[in-house]
Amino acid sequence: MADTKSVLFKIRRQDSPDSKPHWEEFELPWHPGMNMISSMMEIARNPVTRDGKPTTPITYDSNCLEEVCGSCAMLINGKARMACSALVDKLEQPIRLEPLSKFPVIRDLSVDRSVLFENLKRVKAWVPVDGTYDLGSGPRVTMEAQEEAYPLSRCISCCICMEVCPQFNEHTGFVGAATISQVRLFNTHPTGAALKRERLEALMGDGGIQECGYAQNCVEACPKDIPLTTSISEVSGAVMTQAIGDLFRR
Amino acid sequence: MASAPSSATPVKVESGVAPLRAGQGHSFLLRRLHSLTGIVPIGFFLIEHFVSNAFATKGPGAYTKQVEFLSGFPFVVGLELFGIWLPILYHSLYGFYIWHRGESNVADYPWAGNWMYAAQRWTGAVAFFYMVWHTWHLRFSGVHILTYPASAFGKVQMEFQHPWAIAFYALGIICASWHFAYGLWLFAAKWGIAQGPIARRRWGYVCVIIAIGFIAVGAVTMYSFLTTPQQPYQPSAGDMDSFTMR
Repeated sequence: MADTKSVLFKIRRQDSPDSKPHWEEFELPWHPGMNMISSMMEIARNPVTRDGKPTTPITYDSNCLEEVCGSCAMLINGKARMACSALVDKLEQPIRLEPLSKFPVIRDLSVDRSVLFENLKRVKAWVPVDGTYDLGSGPRVTMEAQEEAYPLSRCISCCICMEVCPQFNEHTGFVGAATISQVRLFNTHPTGAALKRERLEALMGDGGIQECGYAQNCVEACPKDIPLTTSISEVSGAVMTQAIGDLFRR
Repeated sequence: MASAPSSATPVKVESGVAPLRAGQGHSFLLRRLHSLTGIVPIGFFLIEHFVSNAFATKGPGAYTKQVEFLSGFPFVVGLELFGIWLPILYHSLYGFYIWHRGESNVADYPWAGNWMYAAQRWTGAVAFFYMVWHTWHLRFSGVHILTYPASAFGKVQMEFQHPWAIAFYALGIICASWHFAYGLWLFAAKWGIAQGPIARRRWGYVCVIIAIGFIAVGAVTMYSFLTTPQQPYQPSAGDMDSFTMR
């Protein structure tokens, strides 16, 4: 039989941030090991829709192709996940590709996720070591503390935890699980803990940790298996301790 | 040429979810107050209410005594106002506000926690409308049972005259029990009391038992009201001057 297997894609296209989205269908010959990114590379080589109309290559963010850079998050068959690790053989066809729904579209599948970086700045998600002279070696970090911190440090800023969160939306302006987990990471760090009070204080602002509804989608969807709900609970406890303590201290 | 749009122009994308407003607003206080009122005083009241009504299992006499005991409290209306009505009103209204601002997505992500997130909103709403109906019937209309504790048992029985009313009571009890039990679980998770996954799972089992316990007590109580012969619910003739018709 000459019929070769083919793969069907339905991709939501949008030319500019303010233009209306529309769907385009593509049909590609099947070959083993195809994923979303390799498929879109193939479309870019020959950007013709299923019904033979020439079109433009699909715009999307991607970099590492091995689920560590965090840039290719998108909706695949309606679910937020990394495009590079989404294999054609494991998906129902036609495969629907859409941009993340809670982030402004720049073009096609590429979205503006700068809100996460804004949030990370607002909680000061860094270790303050800037100085004019050599501060010497940092404090020792116990093996136990390292084991707690390492999983948190695996965050790839993909924003999937925020996309799947029912509380992350324009009404609440919720900060999202990723940022809260980074607060835990930097508060656990012996030098980073210098900014602990400020970080917890920041999380009490509007859109802060209180907006969490504990639907726990974040921890289910996280491609890096970060214990996000544990981070939320732990940081929540620290925020409450500080808030109640301040009632008496201030 | 100079006016041609340059490809180097950075893409300026407006809108989207706003970043964290550190140091701004009062939502932290209001949301935590919402969470706390669910336990103290509403949760405490719920326990008291289930226990008090369970006196029905010991017959109309014991039930009347319990109602007398409760209505004999000093400042009883003040206790009701600040310990029950206002906290429940705040918890309910702010709860609806929370629901309104969330965007439930169980259809896309049908995970257990996400279902529970949705269920917490629905059970809360059902419990709220149930309570409006329930307090209107038993507290604010008909025989005033704070004045006539002996009428209480019969008055509750009058509630169960229609199968739909019985069903609504059962539904109200189940929703309130579930909402409270899962609320306890959420409280522990959100206030950092049960932090790790194992602690949260164990506390979850305890909360399931609490929910079943409340539902069981409610069921046994309803059974007592339904199986006891109808008690008089009109105050005796000597008290008729202050008796208000339903």
